[in-house]
Amino acid sequence: MDKQPLLRMESISKRFPGVQALEDVDFEVYPGEVLGFLGENGAGKSTLVKILSGVYTKDQGTIWFKGQTVEIHSPHAAQNAGITTIYQELALVPYLSVAENIFLNREPRLFRPLGMVDFRLMKRQAEEIMADLGVEIPGDKLVKELTVAAQQMVEIAKAISRNASLILMDEPTSALSSREVDALFSLMGRLKEKGVGVVFISHRLEEVLEVVDRIIVMRDGHRVGDLSRAEATKAKIIQMMVGREVSLFPKEEATIGEPILELRNLSGSNGVRDVSLTVHKGEIVGLAGLVGAGRTEVARLICGADRVTGGSLLIDGTEVQIHHTGDAVDQGIGWVPEDRKQHGLVLGMDVKSNISLAILKRISGFAGAIDAGKERDVALHYVDALSIATPDIAQTVSNLSGGNQQKVVLAKWLSSKPKLLIMDEPTRGIDVGAKAEVHALMSHLAQEGMGILMISSEMPEIIGMSDRVMVMCQGRITGEFARPNLSQEEIMTAATRFLRLEALDETGAEVAPTGFEHMGEQMAVHLANEDRD
Amino acid sequence: MQKTTAQTGAGGAQSKTSGERLRALFGQPEFILFLVVILLIVLGGIKNPRSLGVENLKIMTRDTAILAIAAIGVSFTILTGGIDLSVGSIIGLAGVMSAYFMINWGLPIWLSITLTLLIGLGIGIYHGLFVTKLKMHGFLITLVTMGLARGFILVITNAFPITGLARAFTAMGQGYVFNLIPIPVLIAAGVAGIAFFVLRYTYIGRQIYAAGGNVEAARFSGVNVDARIILCYVVSVLCASIVGMIQAARMSLGHPGAGEGYELLAITAAILGGVSFSGGQGGVIGILVGALLIGVLQNLLVMLNINPYWHKIVISLVLLAAITFDYARRRRRV
Repeated sequence: MDKQPLLRMESISKRFPGVQALEDVDFEVYPGEVLGFLGENGAGKSTLVKILSGVYTKDQGTIWFKGQTVEIHSPHAAQNAGITTIYQELALVPYLSVAENIFLNREPRLFRPLGMVDFRLMKRQAEEIMADLGVEIPGDKLVKELTVAAQQMVEIAKAISRNASLILMDEPTSALSSREVDALFSLMGRLKEKGVGVVFISHRLEEVLEVVDRIIVMRDGHRVGDLSRAEATKAKIIQMMVGREVSLFPKEEATIGEPILELRNLSGSNGVRDVSLTVHKGEIVGLAGLVGAGRTEVARLICGADRVTGGSLLIDGTEVQIHHTGDAVDQGIGWVPEDRKQHGLVLGMDVKSNISLAILKRISGFAGAIDAGKERDVALHYVDALSIATPDIAQTVSNLSGGNQQKVVLAKWLSSKPKLLIMDEPTRGIDVGAKAEVHALMSHLAQEGMGILMISSEMPEIIGMSDRVMVMCQGRITGEFARPNLSQEEIMTAATRFLRLEALDETGAEVAPTGFEHMGEQMAVHLANEDRD
Repeated sequence: MQKTTAQTGAGGAQSKTSGERLRALFGQPEFILFLVVILLIVLGGIKNPRSLGVENLKIMTRDTAILAIAAIGVSFTILTGGIDLSVGSIIGLAGVMSAYFMINWGLPIWLSITLTLLIGLGIGIYHGLFVTKLKMHGFLITLVTMGLARGFILVITNAFPITGLARAFTAMGQGYVFNLIPIPVLIAAGVAGIAFFVLRYTYIGRQIYAAGGNVEAARFSGVNVDARIILCYVVSVLCASIVGMIQAARMSLGHPGAGEGYELLAITAAILGGVSFSGGQGGVIGILVGALLIGVLQNLLVMLNINPYWHKIVISLVLLAAITFDYARRRRRV
């Protein structure tokens, strides 16, 4: 491309405590281009997007926008400059109409001294803007009545009406059905014609290849590749995204014994359908899949947080009923949740009380009094065994770093001496050092005979740590792979199985490309079956 | 890679100098509050020496003790991140019901007290079920009870006090041990002792704090969160019921207006004593000091002949100060 870039970023660096999120990254977008921006979780994509949208500030580097250097200090500054980000969580006011949202805070006035709004003009202008983008949504419809897809369109229309010339879309398709995705792509086409630059972030490689002109791949905070559409293939992209030695994963051989946990055709009220899987003594089973595939939901069923509606659950070969989370703890199941602040820790309590939380009854004696000595010993033991960096066990947990907080959650469950440990995204958001420690610990626990069910969205973690990988898609198991033969591509294929089937189903369906009048009704059904999380 | 810095404070704790210990003492909000109480008492003594007389001290400790029981009760709900607004109405209901059982039904004292407590138990369970099963905020369901209970009082009494209570019952509010210590003080000491033990030393108490601090984390750790929250709402209503009966005993009658606005006093004492409105933080010692401060303040307002119409304004301003402090502290932490 020989045009002047619309946006150019040069040697951008950003450091967070414990991790270099971006190092010396160059990035550019040309006008009228759809750029695919790819990388694993934690590769630095989101950090770069957040710098562009003013959420973070860069440590180093220069940004040129429309030929001038700019400093983006706040989201507001980004918008004024003409850079708009469409997030997964939409930023519209649900109880206002489409037109009111598009013109929020700059409504056309009817009679200025009285501050009256010209609602008819506003509705007409809003509909004109949307029609120009090939979208037909009535301007007086309330936003809350629209589907997620239609809301995205409204946000894009809003951005365009504010003269946005660069639109960043972070996983815009994750909550859309394939029909809606097609509509979004045709809208991207219109944006291109208008000379707007679009940055498209997605985990769904097929989609990316369908719509983009060029691809930039990130890995570990570096830009590792730049492919034009012509030279890009799925295999090439994946190799660029992953291509590293997986030394972070000290998986050791462990003797695999009797089954600890068996799920037989388990279904639940939370969208899990017909899941069968087994975890043996000493085995690490990786549960892979896209976000929203129903992996956490399986864990919630096992732990009694959601209701089982069918199938059976066996512990040590005997069928058990788990109604409450307390039952799961009694059965020897521990759960290190994905969101430690929400589900794992009582942040206002000290290290000791958090560690003992799951074993309080066991260490209590007469009249329910906690044996303080025993509690202290347990806490001290695990602080030492897991090298939790804390001044003392009376330290409030909220004062610890992310990695140490995660270790406190681990300590809580290890102290309960579980047979089975469920770890949901065990290393999300913790620095590389702590990550390797957690992995080493997992390996060690497996060697001691614990069964581990690890849910992870990080492919290297899945491949590096699992003895066996179960893949889920839309609440079902869609693949099973054993250790020597783990390939990222096969896992990804299984993880997107139904998504592709659905796409095939719908090629014959009659969809007018711009027929959005009844989008709400048409798509509600699709969305109901779509991703959760 | 992190280094192991696992050390206990054990070695450090003993080597504290007396100066450090003093500074630690002044770092405790409860201690500062206690100093304010002493200041108020001294101030009262200077302005009106009679306020330090035995008779006034008896009244003051009795009022404070009664308030402390209600404050401890309502604190249990605040610890879970909830609230109990029905305290005042329950006080009225319990006073009227116990009198009604004794006078209108002619039941013995012990049975009347038991029945009244059973009613309280029922109301507490019903509060707890709404809060846990319907995920309703305690504010709403107890607001309903606040109105309902007051309404039932009026229906039962026709707005007339129920009089003629036996001496054996009124002693609960009017009597003294050794002709010095008011009986309500002993009852309060018992309630406070049990509450202190449960909250400080038992797993039930720890689980209540955990449920208040992060209900999801507690649930996923296997804590029966619903049972703990229901327990807290029961404790609150039971404490209010005890206060209601003491008040009836003290006035020798079941008064339909008894306890009106008492939730303001109880909640103020609790918040003042360091029970955080966001849940999971606070203890019995603090609540006692909070109740003491309110009790002394109220007594002082009377002894200094301040127009009673101003009392509510003063108490509300104290509540405002306590809440502001609580929220400011929380903001700083975030």
